Amino acid sequence: MIRVMIVDDELPARELLREFLAADEDCEIVAECANGFEAVKAVAQHDPDLLLLDIQMPKLDGFEVLELLDRSPIVVFVTAHDEHALRAFEVHALDYLLKPLSHERFQQVMERVKRAAGHDRQPVSGLATSLRAKPLQRIVVRGEDGAIQVVLVSRLDYIEAADDAILLATSGNKLRKQQPISEIAAQLDPDRFVRIHRAYVVNLERIEKIEFYAKDSRVAILRDGTRLPVSRSGYQRLKELL
Amino acid sequence: MATTRTALSRATLALYGMAAVTLAATASSAFFLWARHASPGMAVAAALPPSLVLGVIALASRFLCNALPLRSASRSSIAIGHAGSAAAASGLWVLTWKSWVPALNAQIATQHLDPDYSLLFALGVMLYVAAVAVHYLVLEIEALREAEDEVLRYRVLAREAELRAFKAQVDPHFLFNSLNAVASMCGSRPLEAREMAQRLADFFRLILRLGALERITLAEEIDLVQRYLAIEKVRFGDRLTTHIDVDDGAAACMVPPLLLQPLVENAVRHGVASMVEGGTIDIKATLEDHMLRIVVDNPADPDRTDARGEGIGIENARGRLSAVSEGRAMLQAAEAEGQFRVVIELPR
Repeated sequence: MIRVMIVDDELPARELLREFLAADEDCEIVAECANGFEAVKAVAQHDPDLLLLDIQMPKLDGFEVLELLDRSPIVVFVTAHDEHALRAFEVHALDYLLKPLSHERFQQVMERVKRAAGHDRQPVSGLATSLRAKPLQRIVVRGEDGAIQVVLVSRLDYIEAADDAILLATSGNKLRKQQPISEIAAQLDPDRFVRIHRAYVVNLERIEKIEFYAKDSRVAILRDGTRLPVSRSGYQRLKELL
Repeated sequence: MATTRTALSRATLALYGMAAVTLAATASSAFFLWARHASPGMAVAAALPPSLVLGVIALASRFLCNALPLRSASRSSIAIGHAGSAAAASGLWVLTWKSWVPALNAQIATQHLDPDYSLLFALGVMLYVAAVAVHYLVLEIEALREAEDEVLRYRVLAREAELRAFKAQVDPHFLFNSLNAVASMCGSRPLEAREMAQRLADFFRLILRLGALERITLAEEIDLVQRYLAIEKVRFGDRLTTHIDVDDGAAACMVPPLLLQPLVENAVRHGVASMVEGGTIDIKATLEDHMLRIVVDNPADPDRTDARGEGIGIENARGRLSAVSEGRAMLQAAEAEGQFRVVIELPR
């Protein structure tokens, strides 16, 4: 029995999938979700085999949902937007269904799902992180209590490395996320964010001035008074942009 | 096509012009000779060859007119240029007379021609100046025609731009998602599916019809928007509510077609669709002191990713509005505390 979860913010779209699945004796619907937050919670709760996932949804889009998952169900995207197809395969989604849905195509995809169900799969979440649309527009974070937070990159002051995690600083707040700083630095808009130091990426708009600190070392002073160290190579990168 | 026609008429015109100058020169100078007791036949025979020379020179003066355009060349350079060439042209014409008349006199014993060369010189200058005036007139007419062609070309370009804007105004994903909803209803609610298909067809038919018009009433535009929202309500269910309030004066105002539709589409796609709980799209139109004021309000998630097209819809609407009102209308878009608001003010 394949345990299926449907994630779509439009009721008629969920109904159609429900109808298609009802005709398949090997499938069972374990949950239906109308937005990304619910989906992340429901996957943890129900551990489905298959995720039928819409991409454009309120709060979290389909790719962000995948990034926040601990488990790796088989993923089939269901969307009206064919421009996401390439990215969908990059995050190792099994297949991609376009709206309006064709029943025949749906059945073909379900056959593939059944063949793949028994086998080991590559986890989707890690890949989703590295292959999100670039430059990154928002960062999703799941706290230790499971609460999900969304940070628009335009609200970031700077990012600080802390062991194997990063701290996202936004007007005094610091959010912790499990991700190497080099990975996030590569996803941000290079015209707006600069790696000024091994451990710091700064939002250019927030810099008030750069001052000498000691011989060969400088410090960046942000609008809110925060002082961040600037390495020599970091200063070179800054100079190229300013 | 247009260029061939102009080139053809230009060549014909030049020949006619040359013939006219030759004829005028022949007739007038022959008249002077006849006044000095030459026989009419003799006078014409004497006048024709020098007149032909003047005709060719007058035709060639077109190049000088081209080099000294009325609009851009200075007046003094035009005056000096043409005075010089008038003297030279007339000088050449008198010179032809002076070499032709003795030859004629030697051939014909019965009459002796004795033209007044200073009078002929004055006549040459006059005819040359007249030819120059005609050249300038023709050049002006051609410039005018080119300007008209230019205006026509711009109109065609503007129309094409409008058509492109119109195509961009209806998001194809709206159609795909709506068809998916139709497909979903076919099994369990076939009557609703049929109605939805009908609504979609009516909406697209209306948008094509209104899009082809120059101006429509605000009431017609609101009708289009309501049809659009009715379709979206099937997809979004309880998440989408609408409130539309248009006063009678505003409803009768003329507006460019499809002005509100893309803005309302934005309000759904980037506004209500970004909210988990959905929200209300509020459209209000009033007419006060000859000013039509339209306000579209909708909730929007401040944390949404700014999808492509969000700003384009507003820029398109602003561009069209300023084009139809010659800059007197205004469109403002602002976002605060999770509410997105577009305000349009259009003088009546």
